[in-house]
Amino acid sequence: MDGRQKLQPIHDPRRKNLGLFGAIVFIVSESMFFMGVFLVWFYLRETSPAWPPLGIARPNIALPVVNTVIMAISTIAMIIAERGVARDNQRALINGTAIAAATGLLFMTVMILEFASLGFNPTTNAFGSSFVMVLVFHVLRVFAGVVIMAVVLVRALLGQLNSSRRALVQACAVYWYFIASIWLIVFYFLYIKL
Amino acid sequence: MASISIPVEKRKSALVDWLTTVDHKKIGIVYMGLSFFFFIFSGLLALAIRTQLAAPGMKIINQEFYNQAFTMHGTGMIFLFTIPFLVGGFGNYFMPIQVGARDMAFPKMNAFSLWLYVFAGLMMEGGFILSIIANATGWGDLGLGSNASWNAYVPYSTRAFSPQAGVDVWLIGIALNGISGTLGAVNILVTAYSLRAPGMSVWRLPMFTWALLTTAVMVLLATPVLTAGLIMLTTDRNFSTQFFTTADPRMWQHVFWFYSHPAVYIMVLPAMGVISEILPVFARKPIFGLKALMISTALIALLGFTTWAHHMFVSGVNPVVQRFFMFTTMLIAVPTGVKIFNWIFTLWGGSLNMKTPLLMSIGFISTFTIGGITGVFLGMIPIDQQLHNSYFVVSHFHYVLFGGSVFGIFGGLFYWLPKVYGRMLNEKLGTIQFWLMMIGFNLTFFPQYILGLLGMPRRTATYIPDRGWDLYNLLSSIGAFTIAFAVLIFIINFVIYIVARKGEVAGDDPWEGNSLEWMTPSPPPEYNFKTIPTVHSERPLWDLRHPELADSGKHH
Repeated sequence: MDGRQKLQPIHDPRRKNLGLFGAIVFIVSESMFFMGVFLVWFYLRETSPAWPPLGIARPNIALPVVNTVIMAISTIAMIIAERGVARDNQRALINGTAIAAATGLLFMTVMILEFASLGFNPTTNAFGSSFVMVLVFHVLRVFAGVVIMAVVLVRALLGQLNSSRRALVQACAVYWYFIASIWLIVFYFLYIKL
Repeated sequence: MASISIPVEKRKSALVDWLTTVDHKKIGIVYMGLSFFFFIFSGLLALAIRTQLAAPGMKIINQEFYNQAFTMHGTGMIFLFTIPFLVGGFGNYFMPIQVGARDMAFPKMNAFSLWLYVFAGLMMEGGFILSIIANATGWGDLGLGSNASWNAYVPYSTRAFSPQAGVDVWLIGIALNGISGTLGAVNILVTAYSLRAPGMSVWRLPMFTWALLTTAVMVLLATPVLTAGLIMLTTDRNFSTQFFTTADPRMWQHVFWFYSHPAVYIMVLPAMGVISEILPVFARKPIFGLKALMISTALIALLGFTTWAHHMFVSGVNPVVQRFFMFTTMLIAVPTGVKIFNWIFTLWGGSLNMKTPLLMSIGFISTFTIGGITGVFLGMIPIDQQLHNSYFVVSHFHYVLFGGSVFGIFGGLFYWLPKVYGRMLNEKLGTIQFWLMMIGFNLTFFPQYILGLLGMPRRTATYIPDRGWDLYNLLSSIGAFTIAFAVLIFIINFVIYIVARKGEVAGDDPWEGNSLEWMTPSPPPEYNFKTIPTVHSERPLWDLRHPELADSGKHH
């Protein structure tokens, strides 16, 4: 019973796959953050006489369409990586994650081009603020996803991930699917249904 | 259970140890200590407010400082005391032990939550304290205090009407505190669900853990919405975005109350959990209707998300929508009432062990009931239109949050501190503290109901005589100092009987408790349990004390 004897929590069998559960709980919470940002968009839309307001050009849909394709490729790559690690296919894991991360970075680059091409900015009016805020938080989410993928990639290259140690890959994949779903909602309401 | 012990190679100095700890018990103690400090600080601000209002026309503090004082009193008590104390302090320390775990699910993230809370607290209070120092030393007004009141309604909180930087540091501090709380809730939910001891089904979770689990769900769903709102308000103030400058002011109210109404339950549910632990132990019988208690806790959490616009009955919300929110507000009183009856019937026919934890719990039930019932009054549209922003509202939520949460916290302290420090607090001082608190509390806040009915508005720095408000304000101020005296007695009790170790040795289980924390030594070792216990009922320790009855797993 000496207080300086330390038990490593890792030996507790209940602690298996906690990370994946934690990631899912975190994602639920983050979806509420998205809701908060998006509800302001809807509130402003419903209380404005015109949406977008008069004098604001509708944003061009070309770059977001490109980004939707990029996001789809990225999601497929992530599915390949997740299935790969479940079958101990290291090549599928590494290549899939690398492609998903690269397409994630590409998505961010296209998004920055999109910001530059908008005919308004966040200080123009409430429409501009809300439009850009939704997109900025999406870019930040994608960036977070890419950082997690970089960690997955490093650990995969070090040979630390396999079919019995893959909670990190699963958590990363769930987060990435979440981001892809959010993008579809954003794309629909900010561009198609505008 | 598999358990391998390895010796720690190097002894760290005590300071480094506390600063770098990932042990849930040490993190819990730091949470408790710091949030108690914020309780004292915010309490002193309340005394300043009550001194100013003791008589009409007083000029002890100026109006600007008065506005800052009630802003910091409110946000300090809510964000830096009640929630962190119950969730971060009691939750961190006792929940893992109650479910039979060795630590939280994510110990490093737990430490991160703690230090983010410390940083957020410094941001929220730091600017305000610097302002006070600057004013006292004659450097002039630094503009580092916030006077926006806890709900920071727009347009008042926008740059145009509140240009001082104090509002910015305060808003960012609240946002960071929210992120700390959200991460803490992830940790609590995963720990309470995944790290349960063998045999501990969800229905056998101790009531405090169940309440904390429910609270964590509320924190996870509500807090991010406020964080989003705070970020938008901050970018409006600093980067010229236009969310709240031209929009309908009710947009902020919706975002704010979507968090802040559930926040009331976030503050009170864990305290309800604490007294649900105390009552069966001190009534020496099983809790009455455990399942009803658990389900009503979950129902309160669920309904808590559907009542927010009852704070906006005078903001010009669509009447149909108003009626919906009036209905949900009536509805949430039902599970709350169920809990009150459960507690009363737990006491009914028990052989009561009249110690301080039980006294505090009875204090909780009686004052919280008054607060809850006046909440139903305020939930009715015509009454709210009359009483909105009056002292009736101030009194109502203090009956819920002081009469509820703070009595629960003190009950929990008397109940659990012997486990944390291995020494008992003094019963005589505890009883004196309870009666002073009970009398002081009712003396402070009951006259405020009358003041509200007499039309005294809240947030007013002073008032003219001949309104019939003088006597009630004086009584209220006397009560406030009585509460302060009661808290002082607690501090003396703590210093003598725990810090100076004059209290009786507590032993493992001084109260004949029911839950697993009473199985460990006091204080528990770093790993809590040498072998993870197996649980056969919702009262595992009762089973251990009564081996002859513990075969079936059903005792009542």
